[in-house]
Amino acid sequence: MSEKEEKPKKKSRREFLQDIGIVGVGTLIGGSAIFAGINYDKRKKQGERIKVLTAENELLEIEKSDTTKVTKSPLKNLTYLQKEGRDGLKGHRWVMVIDLSKCRNARKCMAACNDAHHLRPEQHHINTLKMQDAKDTPAYYMPKPCMHCDNPPCVAVCPVDATFKRADGIVLIDNERCIGCRFCVAACPYSARVFNWAEPLHSHEDENLTYDVELNVPQRKGTISKCLFSADRLREGKLPYCVSACPNGVFYFGDENEDAVTNGTTKETVRFKKLLEDNGGYTLMPELGTLPRVYYLPPKGKEYPFQDKDKKEAGERLES
Amino acid sequence: MYTRNLRIVTFAIVSMFFLHSFAENNWNVPADKKARNSTIKFDATTSKVGESVYTKNCVSCHGDPTKGNSLKSLSPVPPDLASAKTQELTDGELFYILNTGRVIMPSFNNVLSEEDRWKIISYIRSFNKDYVQQLSISDTNKSQLVKVDMAFDKKSNQITVTVKANEKTGVVSLKDDEIVLFANRYFGRLQIGESQRTTADGVAVFDFPKDLPGDKDGNVKLVVKVNDDTYGEISRLKTMKIGVPTDIPSMTADRTIWNVLFKPIWIIVLYTFGVMVFGCVLLYLLYSLNRLRKAGNI
Repeated sequence: MSEKEEKPKKKSRREFLQDIGIVGVGTLIGGSAIFAGINYDKRKKQGERIKVLTAENELLEIEKSDTTKVTKSPLKNLTYLQKEGRDGLKGHRWVMVIDLSKCRNARKCMAACNDAHHLRPEQHHINTLKMQDAKDTPAYYMPKPCMHCDNPPCVAVCPVDATFKRADGIVLIDNERCIGCRFCVAACPYSARVFNWAEPLHSHEDENLTYDVELNVPQRKGTISKCLFSADRLREGKLPYCVSACPNGVFYFGDENEDAVTNGTTKETVRFKKLLEDNGGYTLMPELGTLPRVYYLPPKGKEYPFQDKDKKEAGERLES
Repeated sequence: MYTRNLRIVTFAIVSMFFLHSFAENNWNVPADKKARNSTIKFDATTSKVGESVYTKNCVSCHGDPTKGNSLKSLSPVPPDLASAKTQELTDGELFYILNTGRVIMPSFNNVLSEEDRWKIISYIRSFNKDYVQQLSISDTNKSQLVKVDMAFDKKSNQITVTVKANEKTGVVSLKDDEIVLFANRYFGRLQIGESQRTTADGVAVFDFPKDLPGDKDGNVKLVVKVNDDTYGEISRLKTMKIGVPTDIPSMTADRTIWNVLFKPIWIIVLYTFGVMVFGCVLLYLLYSLNRLRKAGNI
């Protein structure tokens, strides 16, 4: 105890100066480090300022760290639409059933179709024909769209891959690729294709529209157009234009995979195969092996008379 | 006294006029259905929704209201729904007509929801300035008390639907109610079998078809619709694994003459190889020609 008292902890002059030196150098180094840090931060911040254009068309400069990324909705540009249109709706196989016993030649399907696809009145994606098969058989009306064959001759002959069949069975035409050679017109046994000989209807108003391969709008002069089963409407879960426009319940449309078709007028859904079986469904020109996706129910038990004014046109072919 | 008499006379005249028009319309709507009113209040929003439903389902025959452009080739000619003759009908009558349909007019009972059907009426009423709506006095929240159970029996391939309401006084079975069973399809609802009426225990049994396709796991979305006078229209959705598993490959999966998307590897390899061989031969020819030219120069 006494020893400690004799040697009190008193710093010598040398030790004191040493300590001062350490603290001074430490402060200097620390200070400069902080200074450099702040400077660096400033420079960094200045470097990461970016220019942004607001929705009001104002050019502003903001810190990059202040920005948040916005996930873009799928671009509805030409490439996107073409890809989407080519892929089709997976897991579906669309079918149409046309009940000839109900058609009264209202021609609402044609009007709705021409309106949707900006077609001239003489161009038909769907056409209601006046039919008479033999001299003594009754005449009837027959709406005829594209058959969307499972073995499409038109697609096989296209030299530029402009017309194609999709996963869901629809045969489409890409007017951006079409070169207007009309091989497909010659190949189609159902005369389902139309050619834009003249400047299309509304071509001036449609000038700034992005071409939609599922709608064929805007139509292009010198290219083919055809029935699309209203591929754009099917994407939204709606029935095709012609199907929903019919006032007489002629059209059924649905998915073969679901074995169900829905009537466009009554909106009643029935089993597809049962409908064909009960009513003797058939396809057009089965002998060609084109395997159409459009089925017909025969004009049995028509509830209406065939109009007299149409009789001549229906029997035209039989007279010669 | 005089005013009272006048009132009675006016009422008599008006009711006679109404009766006359009903006879002409000849829909024979039952009295209880005629007095039915909407549970939703008609306003600009309901009428707007009604308009879009109308354009999808009604406009092709009835045309645009007030324009008189209904389809004249049909028999009977569908009336313009803004006309006085239609507007004379009560809401309940319009609702009944929408539900049942007649001759060429289809029934919308199983096609549109009750809400959509009332909204169509709301749209039709928007063309009548003198129209004053009478709201239904029944409680709309009552339908939430109803519990619908669905059970599938694999052995008999039957679906048993049990409908009960959890009232404060206890659980009540809904008896003698119309039950409709649907399977959801891409464009609409496919009715399964005939509609049934519930027994005293609130039970209805449906035969389920063995061949109805489901998704790739066999799931089918089922909708049960219950029509009850006190609880209103109740719809319940349930996904059940009772369909036939369907996984059909896409149409572009196979190699066909028209399928340009299908490119087998051996064709790509062979084609690339062919092009390379052709290119090499060309290069060799050019090289040989060059050598000839050089030999000639000497």
